[in-house]
Amino acid sequence: MIHEEVLMSNRRILIIDDDQDILESMQALLEYEGFEIRLADRVENGIEMIEEYDPGVILLDVMFPEKKTLGFEAAEQIKGKYPEVPVFVITAINREYAFDFVKDDISAEEFFNKPIDYDRLIKKIKKYTQ
Amino acid sequence: MQVQSKIESSEFSNLNKVIGWFLILRWVACAGVLCSLLFMKLIFNYDLTYQVLFPLTGTLFLVNLMFTIYHVFIKEKNLSRRELSKFFNIQVILDYILLFLLSYFTGFLENPICYYFVFHIMLTSFIFSGGIVFIYVGGLLLFLITVMIAEYFGVIPHYPLSKASSAIYYDQMLIRGIGLCTTLIFTAYLNSSIKKRIEEKGKRIEIELDRYKSLDTIKSNFLLQVTHEIRGPIAALKGFHEMILKGITGEKNLKTTETIRKANRRTDNLLTIVDEMIDYAYMTAEHRIHYGTTEVHIRDVIEANIDQFSSLASEKGIEFASNCAKTTTLNTSSDFMNIIFSNLISNAIRYSYPKSIVTVNAEKHGDMIHIMVKDEGIGIKSDELANIFEEFYRTRRAREMERDGTGLGLPIVQKAVDSLRGKITVYSEEGNGTTFHIYLPLTSHIQRELHDPRGGTNEQQTNSHHR
Repeated sequence: MIHEEVLMSNRRILIIDDDQDILESMQALLEYEGFEIRLADRVENGIEMIEEYDPGVILLDVMFPEKKTLGFEAAEQIKGKYPEVPVFVITAINREYAFDFVKDDISAEEFFNKPIDYDRLIKKIKKYTQ
Repeated sequence: MQVQSKIESSEFSNLNKVIGWFLILRWVACAGVLCSLLFMKLIFNYDLTYQVLFPLTGTLFLVNLMFTIYHVFIKEKNLSRRELSKFFNIQVILDYILLFLLSYFTGFLENPICYYFVFHIMLTSFIFSGGIVFIYVGGLLLFLITVMIAEYFGVIPHYPLSKASSAIYYDQMLIRGIGLCTTLIFTAYLNSSIKKRIEEKGKRIEIELDRYKSLDTIKSNFLLQVTHEIRGPIAALKGFHEMILKGITGEKNLKTTETIRKANRRTDNLLTIVDEMIDYAYMTAEHRIHYGTTEVHIRDVIEANIDQFSSLASEKGIEFASNCAKTTTLNTSSDFMNIIFSNLISNAIRYSYPKSIVTVNAEKHGDMIHIMVKDEGIGIKSDELANIFEEFYRTRRAREMERDGTGLGLPIVQKAVDSLRGKITVYSEEGNGTTFHIYLPLTSHIQRELHDPRGGTNEQQTNSHHR
């Protein structure tokens, strides 16, 4: 019973991205893999949802219309409040130079580029939710 | 605003130099005056008021000696611009006075030495701004005219240069006076306007330079935006393809699957082209700015890049043979390593025969890392081999085999390798595969240009060598 509950809580994923199409396909593909998905198209909304939804993994976009590195700041904010929740940063930008960042400086467990390699994503989600 | 401060600060450093230069000029003048006086007295037997002239020369000598000592003294004490300019003004005024006295006691308008004021005015107008030049030149002219009038009316005595010319001195005084005054006025005017033009040009150059530097910031922001704007939609597209291929959208038949696979393949090609163009723009930027260095695990980079092309490889039945120790690391930009591996690996897959093996190895070799990417593909003709690192060049077979391609992949790789102070070599035979060898020094630092908009300096990334 307890074991099942842990498993259930682990399968909750929160996706924060401003691109509706990306949200739609990510939701479909991850639900297909048996995950429970909640979506947020704004960083504030997403952060608000964490408390109540208690996700096993948060998938976080980096570039938002408000600010190009909003996702990095959000990752820091989330880590400060919920250090136990794994954050995967997802960005269409495939080179660090474009952001002027080094991965080591970002408080996130994993980094993914868009287009997302779903095999790797699912493998990593499973790793962090077990 | 920034430009303004630069010009001022450059003038500030100049003022110290100008003072030094003036001191040297004054020593030369001192020696010149002394020699001339001795010549006039001993050889030409001019009857001058030497009892005044020699002490005057001595004064010039002493004054300059004092200035020189003071100048050495203040050099260590970084005087403020105000104090420095005060010191400079004192020198200039003393110069005017001494020249006037020298000229006055050697015949004044009779003696062409009075035209030496031209040099003083040239130097004054070159160094000071318009207002101060006006004060100096106006003051000088007023003073000279007063002296001329006083001489003419006998208020002060005339010290003749020679008996012969002083007989007609008063007759010619007006024309000589006008000649001197107009010469001085024109000199001041011409010099001021030339100086103004030079300054304007200098200011324009500074502004251009600033603009040029800011262009790189604009360029990298542009690259960021473009990358996002193009990769975003492609990512969405691929997400939908994936949904169809997984059957999430409903029943699918063989034809649909085949079509979507093709669409997906072309989308991948499009992504590669976009990436290559952006990487190329980045690698060719004059000042490469945004990047950091970390300890890059080469093995992870190889695995990630093999992963990235795994579906493309499996379509062709290509297998990877990869060998790299876990401990093989390089303190470098992960971007550069990704650029190198993704280009070489994707080329290897694209131009391989089906069901062949692509080998990717990396190992430490003394103070180098040796990277090898080898395929068993179509190879490159020997006469085409020399061109493969040229921008937009694609071999005939490559174009036949793969329709999409920019011909920028290898130039980008070469630029990345160059930036890491490494070497790249290629061995190939038509029909017999291609092997790339890259040697990267372990201590390689990315060439970093002087300009850094973040203002940060990182010793490790600094490299003074320019290609």
